[in-house]
Amino acid sequence: MTEPKAPFPYEGPEALRQPLVAALTRVVDPEVAMSIVDVGLIYGVTVTAEKLHVRLTMTSAACPVADLIIDEVETELDRVAPPELLIEVELVWEPPWSADRMSERARRFMQW
Amino acid sequence: MRPLLLGGVALSLLAGMAGGLLRVGVTLPSLPDATWPGQAALAHAALMICGFLGTVIGIERAVAVKLRAAFLAPLASGAGGALLLLGQPGPGAWLGVAAASIFTAVNIVIVRRQRAAHTWLLLVAAGAWLTGNLLFATGQGSVATLPWWFAFLVMTIAAERLEMTRLMRRRPAAELSLQVVLAALLAGAAWSALAPVAGGLLYGTALTLLALWLVVFDIARHTVRAHGLSRYMAVCLLGGYAWLAVAGVAWAATALGLPLRDAAIHALGLGFIVSMMMGHAPVILPAIARVKLQFGAFFYVPLAVLHLSLLLRLVAGMAGDPLRSTGALLNAAAIALFAVTIAGAAFAWRIHHGGPDALPTRKTAP
Repeated sequence: MTEPKAPFPYEGPEALRQPLVAALTRVVDPEVAMSIVDVGLIYGVTVTAEKLHVRLTMTSAACPVADLIIDEVETELDRVAPPELLIEVELVWEPPWSADRMSERARRFMQW
Repeated sequence: MRPLLLGGVALSLLAGMAGGLLRVGVTLPSLPDATWPGQAALAHAALMICGFLGTVIGIERAVAVKLRAAFLAPLASGAGGALLLLGQPGPGAWLGVAAASIFTAVNIVIVRRQRAAHTWLLLVAAGAWLTGNLLFATGQGSVATLPWWFAFLVMTIAAERLEMTRLMRRRPAAELSLQVVLAALLAGAAWSALAPVAGGLLYGTALTLLALWLVVFDIARHTVRAHGLSRYMAVCLLGGYAWLAVAGVAWAATALGLPLRDAAIHALGLGFIVSMMMGHAPVILPAIARVKLQFGAFFYVPLAVLHLSLLLRLVAGMAGDPLRSTGALLNAAAIALFAVTIAGAAFAWRIHHGGPDALPTRKTAP
């Protein structure tokens, strides 16, 4: 179900794709002034009948704000996801984040 | 445990500031029979660097690594600060050694989780803190100890900024040149104990080169074009880099015998490190103290007071002591004003978001 131009792999009802991308894009890492979607921190979203599962990473294992970003992701998803879905945000370290994951918009901002 | 840790942070910060003011000749409201102000003046650097910043960084790293035992490091450094104030310099200093040892172990865990240039640098910074604390505990004096303590803070910041450069187009010179500069910084610190002139010259040169590195390679030059909190953080960083360059020149000049020790130490400690701290507090405090903050333009007020008062203290202060102590008093006022700003921002967040319980009510998976 993944479209080639999607910012991250998505599996689930087509109707939820845009609202979920928009919700995740609202979560901004203030240090870099960019959305976590543009930085490429979202590894994938899967929606089943019961569960909304998000896999995301951080750029550093020494970063203390991971829990805050995850809180914010949950808050934003909560606004758009159907109430019966259980939200599950999983922090993963494999594969390690690299700059290849950044969006075109992010690269333009950082003047690549 | 967190209220206890944050209490320790506040105690070291307040006492450290009081001690600093006493050192520049500011008269504080007298407390009959109190011995702590004298102890605070003696231990000003240890309170600010180990009791305050070391404890904050220890909490920050413990939150990141998610291990309960990692909180023993900030617990020990906070308790060490309290013992210094109680007139127990020996046990206080050795608790600092224990804190830095545990902190070093925590950083080894982080390197094992993510082997990257910035995590290795954080580990080396922890080693610098441990070295400084061992020198302090064995009474080697401030010329030997201070360079290691500042190396701990400066390298911690440099490591975190290096991590951010990964968002920019890869320039192979960036990582290698940073390693050369930081190696010179450590060599300068080590050499300072044996040959204060040569060591101080090398250390000061390394600080100024680091400022240049940050100006060239850091993302702050890009993020300053953003808005809101991101721009504020970038302004704090860029202002800090200017003071870091000043600190390096003043540090080298002090080694050559010029009377610029106050400029060297406080351009570094207040201009670079506290400015950096003010920039990151709006994102770090929610992580370590679990308090949400509403960012607003008011954050620029304490920042401006900090930089202007430092300018008064270091430039006009060269003309005579009264201006230097007025500058120092305003430095302290900037930090107090920042604390008020944080309290106001926490209150504003609650009003904006309808109370502390305005979090999602849906069940979320752990």
